[in-house]
Parts: sequence; C-alpha cells; structure tokens
Amino acid sequence: MKNKLLYTIIYLSFIFLVVLPVVYTLITALFADDSFVSNIGALKSDTFLLLAKSIVIAFLIAIFSTFFGTVLGFLLYKMKTYFRGFFKVALLIPLFISPYILAVAWKDLFYLIFGDVSFLSSNFGVILVLTTIFTPLSMLIIGGAFSNVNVQLEEAGFVITNRRSVILKITIPLIKHALISSFVLVFIFSISEFSVPAFFGVKVLTTEIFTQFSAFYNYSLAILQSALLIFICIILLFSEGKHIADASFLSVGSKGMKNQSYDIKRWNNTGLTILVVWFLITVVLPFVVLFIQSFKEGASKFIQAFELLLPTFGSSIGLAFLGALIIVFVGFTAAFFSARQSGKKGSFFDWLLLIIFAIPSTIFGISLIKFYNQPMLDLIYSSYMIIIIAYVGKFSFISSKLIGNAIRQIPKSLEEVAIIQGISSYKRLISIWIPLVMPSLFISFVISFIFSLGELGTTIMIYPPGTEIMPIKVFTIMANAPQSLTSSMTLIVFSITLLIIISFYFMMKPFIKKYHYAID
Amino acid sequence: MQLIELKNIKHHYDKISVLDDLTLHMEDNQLTCLLGSSGSGKTTILRLIAGLETPQKGQIIIDNQIVTKNNQIIIPPQDRSIGFIFQDLALWPHFTVYNNIAFGLKERNENNIQDTVFEILDFFDLRDHAEKYPHQLSGGQKQLVAIARSLVLKPNILLMDEPLASLDVKLKRKILKHIKSLKEHFDLTIIYVTHDHKEAFEIADNILVLNEGEIEEMGTVEQVKRSKNKFINYFLEY
Repeated sequence: MKNKLLYTIIYLSFIFLVVLPVVYTLITALFADDSFVSNIGALKSDTFLLLAKSIVIAFLIAIFSTFFGTVLGFLLYKMKTYFRGFFKVALLIPLFISPYILAVAWKDLFYLIFGDVSFLSSNFGVILVLTTIFTPLSMLIIGGAFSNVNVQLEEAGFVITNRRSVILKITIPLIKHALISSFVLVFIFSISEFSVPAFFGVKVLTTEIFTQFSAFYNYSLAILQSALLIFICIILLFSEGKHIADASFLSVGSKGMKNQSYDIKRWNNTGLTILVVWFLITVVLPFVVLFIQSFKEGASKFIQAFELLLPTFGSSIGLAFLGALIIVFVGFTAAFFSARQSGKKGSFFDWLLLIIFAIPSTIFGISLIKFYNQPMLDLIYSSYMIIIIAYVGKFSFISSKLIGNAIRQIPKSLEEVAIIQGISSYKRLISIWIPLVMPSLFISFVISFIFSLGELGTTIMIYPPGTEIMPIKVFTIMANAPQSLTSSMTLIVFSITLLIIISFYFMMKPFIKKYHYAID
Repeated sequence: MQLIELKNIKHHYDKISVLDDLTLHMEDNQLTCLLGSSGSGKTTILRLIAGLETPQKGQIIIDNQIVTKNNQIIIPPQDRSIGFIFQDLALWPHFTVYNNIAFGLKERNENNIQDTVFEILDFFDLRDHAEKYPHQLSGGQKQLVAIARSLVLKPNILLMDEPLASLDVKLKRKILKHIKSLKEHFDLTIIYVTHDHKEAFEIADNILVLNEGEIEEMGTVEQVKRSKNKFINYFLEY
C-alpha cells in the first residue's frame, strides 16, 4: 500500500512538474492568440530548409556513428582483442564529456595543425565532433547485441560454412534491431544537439530556435519550430519504439546466454591498433591539445580560468549530486513498478520518460520557462529547483532503464517466497529489491551525476540570473574570451569530469564485488 | 480428512486455457504428487493453492475455509499456513543461510529466533553453514536450506514445485528420503509437483496425473501403476 502511494506520488509529480510544461507550451503555441492554421502558416520556407539541413547532418552522423560503433562493438564484444576490458570503459569517455568541450578541443587541434579553423567551423566540424561523441553510444548498443547473440546459432553455422559467412549471414542479421536502434537514437540526439553547432556557428534548427527565443523573443515561432523537431523525434521513436524503450543495452552485467568470442590471432593486432587509434583520437588527443593551448602563454590564463570557475564548483557538484539522487529515486520507482505491472500504467510512464528524454534540450528548456514563468510558480522559476526539474526530466529515462533491466533479471520467485512468508511489501522493497539492484542504482547515480554536471542545452535556457554553474559559465564566457582562456576553462571541466569518472570507476570495483551476487 | 479442495477452477493465461472446470481434493497428512508433462497445469495448481495467482472462476478451500473465491483472494498467502519450495529454490542471494531462515521469523516478531533457527539448522545438519551465502553451498545444501526456511514457520502444508529438477540422480535419492521423513516429523501435508514418475512412485502416498489441465488418474501409487488409462500407459513408458 505504502509502495503504491509512493509510486502514485512520483508518477503524478513527474507528470505535473516535467510533462505538463511541455504539453502546455505546445498547446499555447499552436492555439493561443491566433488560430491553429495561421500559427502553422508562420513557419516559412527558411525553417523547412533548416530542417532539411539538420536532417541531413543528423543522418550522416547517425550513419557514421553506427558504422564505427559496429566495428568497435565487434572488436570489443565479439573478438578476444587485447585489453578489451580497458577499452570497453575508456572508449565511452567522450559520451560523458559535454559536447561543447570536445568541440573546443577539436577547434584547438585544427588551429594547432593548420593555423586556421574555418574548415572546422562548418557542417563538417559538427559531423566530425558529434560522430566522435555518439560512436561510443552506438558501440554500447551494438556491442551489447553482439554479446547477447546465442552462441548455438553461430555454432550451428560453423558446422556448414566459414566464419565470414556466419558473421555476415547469421550474426549481423541477428543484431539488426541494435543497428536500427543505434541509428535512430544517434539521429535524434544529433538533430537535437545545440552546443556544438552553436559553437561552430553552424545554423541548424536548434540554434535557430535558440535565436528566435533568446534574441528576438519570438516565442511562438520558436515553439512552432520546436514542435517540428519534437514531431520528427517522436515519429522516429515510435518506429523503433519497443527496442529503444526496452533499452536492453543499458544494463549492468547480464544473465544472458554465453557469448561466442572469436580468437583470431592475425586479427588481434589489427583490432588492437584500431582501438588504440580511436582512443588516441577521441580521448587522448582532445585532452593533450587542450593542455597545450591552455599553457602556451604560461600558466596565467589557466589560473585565471580556475579563478573564474572556482565559484561554480560547489553549486555545480551540489546540483548534479542532488539531481542524480532524485533521478535514481524516480528511475527506480518507475522501473520497479513498470517491471511488476503488466498494465498500461507502467508502460505509459516508460513512454513519458522516453519522450521527455528524446525532446531536444533547448525545447525542453523553453517549455520549462514558459510554464514556470508565472507569479504562482515563481518559487521554482527563480530558484535552482527549475534546474533540478530539467535534470530529472532529461535523465530519468536512462536511470529507469538501467535499473529496470536489473530488476527484470531478478527471479519473481524471490519476492513470491517473501510474500508467502508474510514479509510486508515495504520490507520486501527495502530488504530484497534494493540490495539486489544496488550495482545498477550505483551506476545509474554515477551516470546521472556526470550527465547532470555537463548538461548545457536545457540549463542555458532556464538558469536563473546569478546562477553559477560550470557549463553555463564556460559557454557564456568563451564567446568573447581569448582562445587560451577558453581552452583552459574547458580543460578544467574536462579534467574534473575525467577525475570523477576515474574515481567512480575505482569506487565501483569494490562496490560491485560486494554486490556480486546481484550481477553473477 | 480433506485438507485442500479445488472446486470448478477455471484459469487461463491471456487466451490460453490452463485449467478448465477442474475439481480435486487432497487429504490431510498425505504426500500427494502432481504428475504430468510440461504445460499440464501442475505448477498452476500449486500457485493457486498458495494464493500467488487467482483463478478466473472457482473456489479453493483450505482446512474448511474458503481462501479464494472466483478471482478474489479471501485469505492472503501468508495466512494460509503454507510453505513453498520453488523450482529455482528462490534463496535470497544477499542473505546468509541464517538470515534466509530467520527473515520470516523476524517479520513475525517471534521469540527466541536464534534458538529456533539453530534448531532447524541442526535438524538438516546445516549449522556449520549458517554464515555462508547461497552461492557458497552445494546443490543439495541449497535444497535443504530452502526446505528449512519454509519449515521454520511451521506450516501445515508444504508445496514443492519440482525442487529436485537440477540435481543428479544420487543426490536426488538422498533428498527424496529426507522429504519423505518430513511429513511425519513436521506433521505436514505435502504437495509435490514433478514430471518424473519414478520420483513420484518413490515418495508419494497419492498421485494425481494431469494432462492439459485435466485429471487423467488419481489414486495410490499402486492404483496409478495398474491404471488402464491410455495416457497413463503412454506417460509411464518413458
């Protein structure tokens, strides 16, 4: 009873605090002041040209990321490549670094090599940087699918044909859904991305929405343009909805079938070379370049950057910490009830989380502002609460999937035996479920914390005046700052994120060891 | 004396009917085996008796009390005085053997929990393993812990859902002997689900043979062995 009440409270709070602003904003944009038809008529051909351009860019990023993700996923999850344990974690780093930081790093790299960055400040730059950022996501999705392929299906193939045919005709078709999910998710993230095109000065639909909203105060047009993007994202989500909504790639450990790894000696060196090169290009190089640029005029700019960012450390880390705690709480509640409810209520919550997650950040930000900028809701609008709501809306889906996939791996009988023994539902939750999904709760917290710490797309739209948050400070200062100062600031943020990832990685090992029974 | 009665039970999963107008009863202090192939409805019967599932229609009576009527639970699982051994044993992996057994007692605020737990551990010769976790036990020891966990709450009925399915023949024999002795020692009525007729013949007082949700035969081991029923003859051939 207590548990159901808790679920209802969380469910309704999410609808009122997160979903309602989006619905309210869309409805008012379409129907307020004027008729629906004339509002739609405000969308000019420029908007559709920008939309087409955004689609092409996102399409190319999705294709490249899925391709590279397949190669890396194969090497890491299907081959006995050397050091694959290390690379499985290390290659994910770009996914956890704020995109604008990597954009700065790549700009510095081109400046260092060519002395000119105009080549990069173009569609090419956006595609290049976002491909390096989203390839790890594709790798995770496709790698997960590779490791879940039933070994017996492949072995049955080996009896009648060679390895090449087995890979092409059995393994690849079996991971078809992962390839599509990877393409769809990367496409949605790319078309929604704001900071990288904004940094390179490339006009796409998200930057145009930002301009209409922040520079021209043309809310109605900004929201109509947003509606177009939301429409595309939702259509794509529904096309491959079940696989993405399940998000089986977001799981800690797996009790799936034993997977078949190929031990091909002559491929091992080639595989290792590809992994090392990718790691150098996407992780090491950006860091080194930022370092060189930061210190090329001595340490003064770095010290200045540190002094500028110092006041933001406490609030950024505090907000991300609080946000991550609430996200894990919401994610667990959603996952727990949706895994145990066969009804539509549970899966509806899943869909709400997914849709809010897929809505472009800037648009989500606009929705929150429009909704909370009312005298009655000023307490939320003018405080850090609006930022926490943004974090919860953006990242609860990931948390719910990570935890949900862990819950699904726990046999129902563990709870049923407790029911028969007369253990109360509250005690079952506290004493059985939570300890059994502890590794997923921990990892979900870490990921939510890192993502919240680097969130920019929504936060830049909603941050209350005087707010000191790391990504906002860097992004607002770097527009007019000398390059070495920008590099120094991004280096500091990069280093902090990296430090947090490494610390959590080492904390995770004993933690997972302690709760090994949950993921054995 | 009839302890458990199922009357006109209808039960289906989605659109697949599992039990259709099933009526049966089980005697007090007997070890009744539900024997049948996969999908015959034997586990469903066990889960209905336990109250883990509700039928779409029918009545379940335990000890002269209606516990389930149509799709309504009248008496919840924890108040039916039952123990349930699941096929996967369902030992809580994060609890030691001691805590697996003590957990239910603590919830019921029983006195002398430690003495009660050690008493049952001694009965099953498990005292030395009290501080071990389930993954540190052998297959046979896990079976005994699961049984001890159920019996420590002193149920009248013990429901066992193919608990020995994953054991080798030798160990299976040993544990079967143990199960047989439990009935007298703990004054129990045991309902034991299996698809293995040899297992059923070895321990049962009564056997109920099920086929696609219907009773093909019901009686003592000898009666079932002598049955002229075509299905029984076919089933016992293998």
